[in-house]
Amino acid sequence: MIFDGFWVLLGVKLLALTVVVIGGSLVIIYAELKVGAHMQNRVGPYYAGVRWGWAQPLADAVKFLQKEDLVPADADTKVFKAAPMVSLMGTMAVFVIVPFSPKLIVRDLDLGIFYALAASSLGTLAMLMAGWSSANKFSLMGGLRAAAQLIAYELPMVLAVVGVVIQAGTLSMVQIVDAQVALGLPYVIGGQAVGFFIFVTASLAELSRTPFDMPIAESELVSGYMTEYSGIRFTMFYLAEYAGLFAAAAIASTLFLGGYHFPGLDVEVWGPFVLLAKVGALAFLMIWFRWTWPRLREDQLQSFAWRWLVPLALANIVVTAVLKVAL
Amino acid sequence: MSSGGGRVLHSEARVSVELQTPEMTLNIGPQHPSTHGVLRLVAKVDGERIDSVEPVVGYMHRGYEKLAEVRTYPQVTALLNRIDWTAGLANEVPFIIAAERLMGVEAPPRAQYLRIMLTEMFRISAHLLFLSSYPLELGASTPLMYALREREHVLDLIEGVTGGRFHPNFNRIGGVKPAAGGGKGQRTVVQDLPEGFLEGTRRAMAKVSAVCDDMEALVRGNEIFQQRTKGVGIIPAEKALEYGVSGPNLRGSGVRFDLRKVEAHLPYDRFDFEIPVGENGDCFDRYVVRLEEIRQAARIVVQAVDGIPDGPLRAKVPRVIKVPKGECYVRAENPKGEMGYYLVSTGGRGPYRVKIRSASFSNISVLPWLLEGVLVPDIIAILGSLDFVLGDVDR
Amino acid sequence: MSPSESRLRDLISDVCPSAVWREELGTAKLSIARSDWVEAHRALKSRFPFFSWLSAIDWAAEVAVGDAPEMEEGEQMVERFEVLSRISDVSDGDGLILSTDVPKEDACVDSLTGVYAGADWHEREAAEMFGIDFIGHPNLVGLYLPDGFVGHPLRKSYALLSREVKPWPGDVDVEPREGDG
Repeated sequence: MIFDGFWVLLGVKLLALTVVVIGGSLVIIYAELKVGAHMQNRVGPYYAGVRWGWAQPLADAVKFLQKEDLVPADADTKVFKAAPMVSLMGTMAVFVIVPFSPKLIVRDLDLGIFYALAASSLGTLAMLMAGWSSANKFSLMGGLRAAAQLIAYELPMVLAVVGVVIQAGTLSMVQIVDAQVALGLPYVIGGQAVGFFIFVTASLAELSRTPFDMPIAESELVSGYMTEYSGIRFTMFYLAEYAGLFAAAAIASTLFLGGYHFPGLDVEVWGPFVLLAKVGALAFLMIWFRWTWPRLREDQLQSFAWRWLVPLALANIVVTAVLKVAL
Repeated sequence: MSSGGGRVLHSEARVSVELQTPEMTLNIGPQHPSTHGVLRLVAKVDGERIDSVEPVVGYMHRGYEKLAEVRTYPQVTALLNRIDWTAGLANEVPFIIAAERLMGVEAPPRAQYLRIMLTEMFRISAHLLFLSSYPLELGASTPLMYALREREHVLDLIEGVTGGRFHPNFNRIGGVKPAAGGGKGQRTVVQDLPEGFLEGTRRAMAKVSAVCDDMEALVRGNEIFQQRTKGVGIIPAEKALEYGVSGPNLRGSGVRFDLRKVEAHLPYDRFDFEIPVGENGDCFDRYVVRLEEIRQAARIVVQAVDGIPDGPLRAKVPRVIKVPKGECYVRAENPKGEMGYYLVSTGGRGPYRVKIRSASFSNISVLPWLLEGVLVPDIIAILGSLDFVLGDVDR
Repeated sequence: MSPSESRLRDLISDVCPSAVWREELGTAKLSIARSDWVEAHRALKSRFPFFSWLSAIDWAAEVAVGDAPEMEEGEQMVERFEVLSRISDVSDGDGLILSTDVPKEDACVDSLTGVYAGADWHEREAAEMFGIDFIGHPNLVGLYLPDGFVGHPLRKSYALLSREVKPWPGDVDVEPREGDG
């Protein structure tokens, strides 16, 4: 039974997925360090990796792995230890439905994007667990801020996706790409520009990146809910953040930018590279925002979500639905 | 929250609204990334809102007023540098001028121009430090790099003249430190400023003005920055005057007052510069005032470079400095605000009593009033905008 | 009598007629009686709204640190605390130092916090440094010194431990002066 074809294939797929996700996260971490450095007139990582510094993320990972496993005395140990694992698993679960090409996908679920949105909200739970179990007032405040922020921005994200789903007529990721191919335009030009803007903004907030990084506001709460974590647990949070960035960029590319398809290129051969290029472009955008803007205050963040993004997303759905029926 | 038929019990709903959550006492500092040093704020917090704040200072109290009584006049300036360490020379100048007034000595014009030039360069350095650290506290990390890069030019120039980047110890009774060499019998003119100093200063001031223009677009015009700072931490002018808030903080509240235009201790009246004034007294205005002040200070430095007269750097004073009996108060416009020294001399080798009026001490005495009812993230915005250093607060 | 002095005289004449005015070296100083301390400030507040600082001087003939004050022939030092406050305006920069003498045996004076809110912290510092009591201050606890500190540091009788161990070397400037060769 253990050598049944299905299980072997599943094992291979998951292994490949893990390698791709971790590898991709390390690349994005390196890009953040280097791109950010050049934007600030600095050089960035230099020594680890023959003057280009490409080995810096690896060096950081090794450094974290050999650190002492600290758990604060007053902490709720079980919850404290579980929080980073929940965070990382929630993010990796999203990758099950990311299509690198029509065949290179762990499983093209019919529920596709709905599953992804559900899995990604596990991260909220992990933040709360971390903030509460750390027995540290600053961590608690960070965890509460994070929970409030993530819940607020979950809604515009889902609503923006609904617009795409209405236009494509399906929840499956591969079929959404097919719908864009049939239309001849990626949805960002073909009617979902507003949806794209809302999705990217809401993803930035879900990932707690500047300008929405109140939960880990370094200058105020030291590191927010992550303050008491060190060593391998911190690495898991750190990887989860960048894996989440990869996931958000990958989903945005598939839903709005046409995914693995590029006119003139054979999807079977070039598909993954096209998708990775689009992911790279979006990741660059997100990194650019982080180094340029200050952060919004918590209540400004909330009011932005509830008073602007949600009504805008609802209007987007109405317009999309009307146009879908009319055209 | 429903029972028997799915109705919400209104009594239950009311209980959850009136739930009393106990106040949390939050200790901000003394070790904290944003408190500019060892300042401790004991805040009683209700959720994200502050009920009351009690600042606890004194972690850096070095007893300067007592120490000054055990120093000779030339030795005191080495202490005074370190009060407001971002402003170096500007700390020494009022004290030296007070001692000079009691002695009846006046510094030669070249020394006075140098004093003004270095004071303004330290003002630029201190405000650039503010420009770099304030957006960082709000989350933007890039202005830090841009502003500090230009600050290096200014600090290098200061080091070339005085020998120190932060603690120049350059003032002497009767002028500034004269150049080494030129001993008895020599008639040659000693080069008292480093080679290329004047030209290098002009170039550095151009770069400083350029980075101010960068900041206009990057920070001042940024909507998120404006949202975080406009309307936050408003200090009305009357409150500012009562608490003794001075410098850019006072000017941000709309009071057009600058000691450089009013006091006669240095010949600022020969220079052409403006005083930027804010409107509302919020954090944004205080930021803008400091940004403009850098430009005005650069103007003054360029005029000083163009007009610096020749002459000795120090007036003739006796070998052993003896200041006659008397009392004198001299104040000057420090980058942080009004800095003054009340010097009491009874003829000894050192001062009998020096009262140091430091700007940041008065600036943060307004915090208990200002921070009431404010949100926690706004504390950081407000503390940063007051731009204080703990050395100035604690002396 | 200068114009500024005569204007000030008008302001405070009914409050403290016995005030002594002295102006030298650019510093104007008004000495008033201890009982008139708060009233004089209240009368002057509209003219000088900016509260700069408040502190004290310990006048003593014997000092534990530094040099003792030089006295003229036959002059006697009156041992007392002199409480000083500085207020100024923000239009043309006029300022005034008010001073009052406080006897050492009865070291107390009324608090100015009712007139200028900013006097709060200054009075706390003066209280812990000199041991002067400010009557009516809402919260006269120490500001700088750690808990359990004994003594009042800025009093002339307070000795510095390092100077007990090693006397003050005095004028030992390392820098050569002009004309030294």
